[in-house]
Amino acid sequence: MTIEYHIKGGDFSAAGSASSEVKKTLKQFNISPFLLRRVAIALYEAEMNVVAHACKGLMSVDIRPSCICVVVEDEGPGIEDIEKAMEEGFSTATDEVRQMGFGAGMGLPNIRKNSDGMKLTSTPGTGTRLEFTVNI
Amino acid sequence: MKESSYAHSIQIDPDKCVGCSHCMRVCSTQAIRIADGYARIQSERCIDCGECFRVCPQRAIYARHDGLSSLPSGHCKIALVPSVFVGQFSTEYSATQVLNAVKQIGFDEVFEVEQAVDFMKEAYRSEAETNPLRPLISSYCPAIVRLIQVQYPSLTGQIMRLKAPHDIAALYLRKSKEAEGLDPQKLTIYYVTPCAAKIAAARAPVGETESPIDATVDMTVVYNRAAATLYGRKKKGLRKTCADMDPDSVNWSLSGTEKKYFPGRCLAIDGMDNVIEFLEKLESGHISDIDFLEMRACDQGCAGGVLCPGNRFLAVERLEHRQKRLQKLKEANRGKVKNPLMEYREILHTMSGVSPVYPRAGLLLDQDMEKALIKLQRIERMMTCFPGFDCGACGAPGCRNLAEDIVKNRASISHCVFVQRVMEKNSKLSPDQAFVIIEKIWGKGRLDKYMHKK
Repeated sequence: MTIEYHIKGGDFSAAGSASSEVKKTLKQFNISPFLLRRVAIALYEAEMNVVAHACKGLMSVDIRPSCICVVVEDEGPGIEDIEKAMEEGFSTATDEVRQMGFGAGMGLPNIRKNSDGMKLTSTPGTGTRLEFTVNI
Repeated sequence: MKESSYAHSIQIDPDKCVGCSHCMRVCSTQAIRIADGYARIQSERCIDCGECFRVCPQRAIYARHDGLSSLPSGHCKIALVPSVFVGQFSTEYSATQVLNAVKQIGFDEVFEVEQAVDFMKEAYRSEAETNPLRPLISSYCPAIVRLIQVQYPSLTGQIMRLKAPHDIAALYLRKSKEAEGLDPQKLTIYYVTPCAAKIAAARAPVGETESPIDATVDMTVVYNRAAATLYGRKKKGLRKTCADMDPDSVNWSLSGTEKKYFPGRCLAIDGMDNVIEFLEKLESGHISDIDFLEMRACDQGCAGGVLCPGNRFLAVERLEHRQKRLQKLKEANRGKVKNPLMEYREILHTMSGVSPVYPRAGLLLDQDMEKALIKLQRIERMMTCFPGFDCGACGAPGCRNLAEDIVKNRASISHCVFVQRVMEKNSKLSPDQAFVIIEKIWGKGRLDKYMHKK
């Protein structure tokens, strides 16, 4: 079953609320705490990316008996060089965003680390689509 | 004495409960429902924090404890008294005087729990060195340990695996009495508790098979007995001549002292809502680079415990005063503290650990993943029918809780008063049936007074 959440770009004060809601739902399932933690971290990083870089986004979380599939699509500047974006420590975040304690360039690597499959596609100037799966 | 027939301390007296639902609205884990006119606690979700106890206007909620009536004759009876108890009395009474008043209730000895804190400080240092997990969460407050078990399953591994100071104090007393040649079977250790969670912890400890505490006594009961002795006496009592613990150990149960004894970046968080807000963020990986979290369910720590009879801020002030006095005594004795418990530190180190803490299944929809998914789908469908006001008229604290109860076969969709109106309009429910449903939740005769009104 799929649950959808809207994410507002630039709203740092509300950042984390979508992933927090998903986490609450996932706690009702008999999945291991370790797995829950992985999903929670990946979701939070994905949500933060939309907040920090895009105008708006939609997070859809599909809970299946064997896995949790997350798709995050946003409208925003997109990513010029995906390979570079996946590098640890690389970030295009503005100084403003960095001052708030974000933009350390660990978001995407963290999602990769905490998921069992990740796909990132982007059209520069239009938006980004991130897909990741965590197996149960 | 020790019967393991209950794991919770917080209970509701059905003779006093009128089903007003005040408790249901404040419960941090949504563990309370109203049915047949009474509040009921779901034991798998209750963490014994006692927030419901605070708000009950009928005084129908109570903390079940062992009490004083069970003082066995022929036994050596020792009362473990926490410093916050001393803080319930004005500073004109010395700690020695207060503890003596407790002894006069019928104990052979009285021991102040915070003497074990000198040991805890050492234990924290070695825990910081041996346990690489960060942040570590303090295991001091049993309501917080239980909250994490129920609501934050992925954080249970980060709870420090150490016993609480009153358990350490009890272990010390057992060892030292044994050394004096006392039959361990003839020793009974009572703990004068400031809260319900510590009663639950002595009944059904987490990470231990058995608690070293034999019985718990509600602090209010001891307060009343000790106050009768103290207030009737005009003469000034004895005072300590040397410090029997490190001065700031006396404040350990309050907020902010514990964190000073863990190396690195540490935070002290008190109050249930504050703790929940923080744990939410922590669980998402939102917060990093913190080494230690001191967390207390009650505002101002144990001085705000639900069973403390006095004002929490006055208690904090008095304990600060006592810290200063202990400091003076320590300085007068060339910086030395005479704490007999510390002679047992080595053996206590071998006994101070607990097993890992595991999550509790309080939130699970179903053990089976596919069945849980079907239930979640039903919940989401029902949520579109409910108003989302969380009015509580169905006997559950929120619309989502009602939906969860329905998929667990504990309630029905017609319990929602808004759904009832729609059903009546569509002739699926008669006004009489709706009446019966409301009576089933809020109690028989509940609506009578409105019928007789003109």
